[in-house]
Amino acid sequence: MTTATEAAEVGTGMAGGERSIVAFCCRECAYAAADTSANARTSLPPSVRLILLPCTGRVSPLHLLSALAEGADGVMVAGCLEGQCHYREGNFNAIDRVTFVQRLLESVGVEPERCRMFTMSAGEPPRFVAAVKEMDRVVGALPPLTRCAAGADPSATAVGAGDTAPGTRVGAARRSAGPALVAPGGEH
Amino acid sequence: MRAGVFLCECGGNISGVVEMEPLAAHARTLDGVVEVAIDQFMCGTEGRAMIEKAVEDRGLDRLVIASCSQRFQGPTFDRIARELKLGENAVAFANIREGCSFVHRHEPERAQEKARKIVAAAVARARHQSDLPRRRTFLSRSALVVGGGVAGMAAAEELAAAGIDVHLVEREQSLGGYMAKLAKTFPTEDCAMCSLAPRLTSTALNGHIHIHTLTDVEEISGPPGEFRVTLRHHPRFVTEACVGCGECVAVCPVHYPSSYEEGIAERTAIYRPFANAVPSTFAVEKKGWSPCKSACAVHTSAQGYIALVAAGRFEDAYRVASGPNPFPSVCGRVCTALCEAACARGSVDEPIAIAALKRFVADTVGPTLPVRPASMVHPEPVAIVGAGPAGLTCARDLAHLGYKVTLFEAQPVAGGMLRTGIPDYRLPHDVIEREIGQVLALGPELRLGQRAGVDFTIDGLFEEGYGAVYLATGLQKSAEVDLPGGELEGVLRAVEMLRELNLGGTPEVGERVVVIGGGDVALDAARSVIRLQNAAGYEPDVTLVCPDARLRLPTNATQMKEAREEGLDLEFLMQPLEILGTSHVTGIKLRRREPNASDRRQPVPVQGSGLELAADTVVVAVGRTLVDDFARGCDGLELKDGQIRIDRDTMMTTREGVFAGGDAASVGLHTAIEAIAAGRRGGAAIHDFLRGTQLMPKCEQRPPRARPTAEEPAAVETCRRIPLAVIDGPGRRTGWREVRRVYSAQEAVAEAQRCLNCAVCSECGCCVRACPSGAIDWDQTEIVEELSVGAVILATGHKQFDAARKTPLGYGRHANILTQGQLSRLLSAAGPTAGELCRPSDGAVPRRIFMLQCVGSRDVTSSGNQHCSAVCCLFATLNASLIKQQYPDAEVTIGYTDLRAPGKAHEEYYRLVQERGVRYVRGRVGEILEEKDGSLRVRLEDTMTGRKQEGVYDLVVLSAGLEASDGTRDIARVAGVQTGAGGFIREYHPKLAPVDTQRAGMFVAGTAQGPKSIPDSIAQAKAAAARVVAMLSSGYTMTAAQVAAGDPEICIACGVCVDACPQMAVHLTTGTDAHSVVDPNICRGCGICAAECPTGAMQLGRYSDAEVLAEATV
Repeated sequence: MTTATEAAEVGTGMAGGERSIVAFCCRECAYAAADTSANARTSLPPSVRLILLPCTGRVSPLHLLSALAEGADGVMVAGCLEGQCHYREGNFNAIDRVTFVQRLLESVGVEPERCRMFTMSAGEPPRFVAAVKEMDRVVGALPPLTRCAAGADPSATAVGAGDTAPGTRVGAARRSAGPALVAPGGEH
Repeated sequence: MRAGVFLCECGGNISGVVEMEPLAAHARTLDGVVEVAIDQFMCGTEGRAMIEKAVEDRGLDRLVIASCSQRFQGPTFDRIARELKLGENAVAFANIREGCSFVHRHEPERAQEKARKIVAAAVARARHQSDLPRRRTFLSRSALVVGGGVAGMAAAEELAAAGIDVHLVEREQSLGGYMAKLAKTFPTEDCAMCSLAPRLTSTALNGHIHIHTLTDVEEISGPPGEFRVTLRHHPRFVTEACVGCGECVAVCPVHYPSSYEEGIAERTAIYRPFANAVPSTFAVEKKGWSPCKSACAVHTSAQGYIALVAAGRFEDAYRVASGPNPFPSVCGRVCTALCEAACARGSVDEPIAIAALKRFVADTVGPTLPVRPASMVHPEPVAIVGAGPAGLTCARDLAHLGYKVTLFEAQPVAGGMLRTGIPDYRLPHDVIEREIGQVLALGPELRLGQRAGVDFTIDGLFEEGYGAVYLATGLQKSAEVDLPGGELEGVLRAVEMLRELNLGGTPEVGERVVVIGGGDVALDAARSVIRLQNAAGYEPDVTLVCPDARLRLPTNATQMKEAREEGLDLEFLMQPLEILGTSHVTGIKLRRREPNASDRRQPVPVQGSGLELAADTVVVAVGRTLVDDFARGCDGLELKDGQIRIDRDTMMTTREGVFAGGDAASVGLHTAIEAIAAGRRGGAAIHDFLRGTQLMPKCEQRPPRARPTAEEPAAVETCRRIPLAVIDGPGRRTGWREVRRVYSAQEAVAEAQRCLNCAVCSECGCCVRACPSGAIDWDQTEIVEELSVGAVILATGHKQFDAARKTPLGYGRHANILTQGQLSRLLSAAGPTAGELCRPSDGAVPRRIFMLQCVGSRDVTSSGNQHCSAVCCLFATLNASLIKQQYPDAEVTIGYTDLRAPGKAHEEYYRLVQERGVRYVRGRVGEILEEKDGSLRVRLEDTMTGRKQEGVYDLVVLSAGLEASDGTRDIARVAGVQTGAGGFIREYHPKLAPVDTQRAGMFVAGTAQGPKSIPDSIAQAKAAAARVVAMLSSGYTMTAAQVAAGDPEICIACGVCVDACPQMAVHLTTGTDAHSVVDPNICRGCGICAAECPTGAMQLGRYSDAEVLAEATV
């Protein structure tokens, strides 16, 4: 049974109105963990909305940046534990992309912690719950994300998704040790 | 879009938190929504009826289901949509139970708001959903099982029982795998072969199982259901006519370490690993041609006669040595022996004395064997001009083929340069005459003193009715002396001088002789002059002046050494400038040369280094030329550069029907063996010509040259060549007796035993002659076969960890250290000792035995493996128990890390063996040292007490762990399946899909997947078979809707998707419109390629960018 204090705790951390967080979840682990924790009626912050994907390797920077540009205050990717991807290395690809988006956000003056990667197994619902709460807490502590309208001054600290090429490839970041920050849609 | 939104109350699970009516009202406002309905249980029959009605009444093309998690009821609604003919991707899911009502029970307002958002996201997503194609794939009702061990056989039999045709592929000669090597099995101690043999037989007799032994899987391509498999069948060299009598084994002279016996016993080159082998046909292990055979111009199987000499079978050896060569006694003396230069033993210590062994065999056996005349079969007589080695060899081959042959020889004796060019001390005349006699005994007629172009003409021979003519006239004249003073008295030509000598004359030589030249002829001339001077009463004074830095091939170092011992002075890098004298020679003028850095064969003169050498005789041996008398009266014959012009493929000259060979038409070395080879080619060419068959190239294709691996020679104990006795140097000068003696039989056998058997099969031909059913076929070649199969089971097994990698344990260095596998062979009743335990060094029965566990297993150092090999604890316990029962006095100690006996009845068995008196010590061994008597000192740290112990044992047995076999590593690469630690094949899911691999339609069983016991292997094999049966039973399959597909219009063929795909389902087309293509049969729908694609051309069904973005950005 959830106590009133727990309910209160879930609702806290919201400074300046409702936050919206999009969670891209792997079907094999995070989404399964979410189902299990939900079936046990574990309360979660309502700010986080789940999107089902077959593998976090499906996530491209386009998805993450578009979600932020179109209303989300934070995005999270929840995949399998390192080495346990059902498709070999899809979760590593996701880790690379999240890192890439974080650097991109930082470069335009947006807090990189608005984009986070979490890993867990299907058998670890508490880990999923912790991840969601952590994301809610971190994003909730940040001011709401301000955006400029499409076509407005690009020098403003904001995110625009219109010029983002889909599926920007950042896989090299893992394979070569050095930083490989690549402009989306640019030469690479 | 005409979407219907169906809201499920889930019996209050949802409606207890979220108010349904307001949610429905909101849904109605969403773009594209034409119908909204609420039901208590949308997944029930009522809900289904409601959906059906709405689709019919309102003409819906999309369903938005707002209910529980898609992971629960997703398939139900997908099926409803499919049945309502809405296509494959008509349903969008809004997870308002796990995603909302269950987790926000205490915040109904915010839950309501979130539910609205979730439904809106699903509706937005639905707008971008479109139908996805699915393909029907035919499934071939056949399967490939790779690996014929106990797992492979179990899987094959199970599949066959289900009526599936099985191709069972095994790399080795027989089915059986590792289990066939075991003496007994734990925990029951029943004989391994007793339980395996019935399986071998039933597999062999099963009509649904096609067994391919000695076969490798080279490629597996195509989609599951219709894999295309390429098999490479290696030749067995024994046909199915083999009745398994084993006569061949009795005559095979080659003995090679048996891999079946784990290297503790030998087997022959033709073999069957064990009595119950399937197939029961024997096989020959042939690695190609041995280096000696490849190097020989006539490809005499030197390894063959050496092996036969080693076995003391001299008559068989003679048959092999004389097979392609009518002059084995001659070649045993004068051959340049390129075989010895090629001999692999040379990389260990010294090459085998091949020529000396050949001479021994030919001299010992040759004179004793009678020769029967060959029968005449063909009407055309053949004329051979020149009875030298080429002509006589050609005559012999043609006589064997059934031709009447006439040899015309200008000299009063036959034998050519072998007879008139080589002095007696190197090749006694009676030896060459005996071998010529053996050729003539076959039937050829020899006419001496007949010079072509003088006494008869080639044209005339054809008029007489000869069908073909072979010209083997050789080079009979010394080359012109290109020096001032060459015409002086006292200047001799070497060829002519030697001919005079060998025909019984005594050439006149002076007291101080200079020989000019650098080849065999020069050396022969010089050494003859020494003997002539000795006979004339002079003190030998001969200087050989060689213009080059060293003597030319084919003269070998031994000959040069012998010449020096006889008193010859050798002067290298001396260029003769002029022969001095007025009427008679008085000396020779020379100039020193120095080696040329850029071209070693062209030394350059040193200015101002002229010197003079006094001499009264100069012998010139600087090349031989053609005497072209025969060209007179041979219309159409062309000469070129002092040789007869021939077609290199057909051996025919420019005159039809006239062939040529030997020195007169050679491009290669002017050696005896090259002339013999030319004679063989000539004989075959004339046969082809006369029989009207096409003139095929006479230069045959050579099989691969067999070389021992790098490790093999390193493991050989060095043992130098048995020296050949020679007459002492000064003693030799006095006569013409042969310098080198022949080996005694004992020496020959000892020398022959040094052979490394490079090619394993020596091609001696003994088995071919011994086989009563004519089953041995050396012409078999590799065959490549293509199959189509529906599914694949990989059961390629394991191999034993190489214990020599743990250097301090001394395996491979100390004789009395075995592995459990080797011990198992010793304890096997069918093993090399018939079950008697004896230690390798002295054959004694060991009394104190130490077994060491975890060799190469549970080992974090780089030389070992981390995994536990699972079977070793019980394997050692079993072998210890067997020893203890057979030799109750024996003390057996097992040093273990942790004793693991988790299998059924394994713990009980371990306790039983403990009671039988086997001692278990928990301890770690630092090193094992060998004592003088071969026993072993083991230093052990008892990990229970922490005390260091030391013990001396008669025998140490290492429990070497299991690692992936080479076959497993190879098939993983070929099949494109993942491997994990230790090289074992990785299963798709360690718990839920333990026999699937990450490639659809490919399954894994047995120790290819990881170390395990026999019952576990069989259980897994049967599970894999069940998976195949389930997959193939319907006869066809549909591809999934959720697969990736590329848009060829957008694709730039960068290939990123090809690299990204974990299933290898993507490939690029070629050409101007190159683009990526995904095989929907292989794709498993992860979408990694779509995320990697830089252009957006690649999209994943159900999860396109548009669908994901629509849902994420509401």
